[in-house]
Amino acid sequence: MATFELYRRSTIGMCLTETLDEMVQNGTLTPELAIQVLVQFDKSMTEALETQVKSKVSIKGHLHTYRFCDNVWTFILQDALFKSEELQETVGRVKIVACDSKLLSQ
Amino acid sequence: MDSTNSNSTVMAPVIQNIVATINLACKLDLKKIALHARNAEYNPSRFSAVTMRIKEPKTTALIFSSGKIVCTGAKSESQAKLAARKYARIVQKIGFPVQFKDFKIQNIVGSCDVEFPIKLERLNGFHAMFSTYEPELFPGLIYRMKKPNVTMLIFLSGKVVITGAKAREQIYAAFDNIYPVLKLFRFQKDSRFPVNADCNFTNRRIGPVKLATRMRAEPLINTTEMKQV
Repeated sequence: MATFELYRRSTIGMCLTETLDEMVQNGTLTPELAIQVLVQFDKSMTEALETQVKSKVSIKGHLHTYRFCDNVWTFILQDALFKSEELQETVGRVKIVACDSKLLSQ
Repeated sequence: MDSTNSNSTVMAPVIQNIVATINLACKLDLKKIALHARNAEYNPSRFSAVTMRIKEPKTTALIFSSGKIVCTGAKSESQAKLAARKYARIVQKIGFPVQFKDFKIQNIVGSCDVEFPIKLERLNGFHAMFSTYEPELFPGLIYRMKKPNVTMLIFLSGKVVITGAKAREQIYAAFDNIYPVLKLFRFQKDSRFPVNADCNFTNRRIGPVKLATRMRAEPLINTTEMKQV
């Protein structure tokens, strides 16, 4: 199954990449194995978000810029209000990158 | 506009949309444009042009790889030209050797409300040369005027849309031509039922006769019920 490498730039993804880099540098891990771990991370993130995350968040803000190219939507929102069941927070500027997961199964 | 014509001073169509085209006279890499410009959409599997929008003047442009641009949504000729120049500048800034060639207004759309209901069926009967009225297909009467060569959509409510003009004068001339005609086919007030274009005449299948019988049978009928019939 193909996956997006979208989540590698998240906090958890960056931490994993850093740790793997370190391990490859000390020789604890081969570079090939490190890559394999990252690919597994992509798969697991997609799966976890699909099956284990139940909470819903709504994002509402002023659309500053949008773009659609290569089946990727990019939105830049200003003064966006993030709302979940428990809490809400306003953020001055947010960039949203969205891919169509249906494209992967094709 | 003819100032002696009384209706033209009171009532004139409002320009709603202007479509213009320009030629940048160079081949464009649409993917590069979509990636570098803001507010651009490019989905080659659906449509082979980049769709781009700007906020001032509020317009949408279709940018083709041949270098041709279609700019829509402007409310005046000068705004259409300004918008076209802005799109050309955006493409130039991305790095293409653009020119600004063959700016041409392709279509102007205007609309107006004469504020009285119109007997479309009768109008269709008397102006069969120019009009098509198929309420089962489209609720408006389509009036193809020869001089000026424009197309009008005339609705029962008295709202009129004029399209197909290349210049704003044609919109005004067409309206000045049709207004006296519309007055001839105005729904006259009838004591049996109130003249209220919004509720009684929107559903033309309730003819005057049917409506009158209904009202006698159910005096407390409300307008929303009538619409559903």
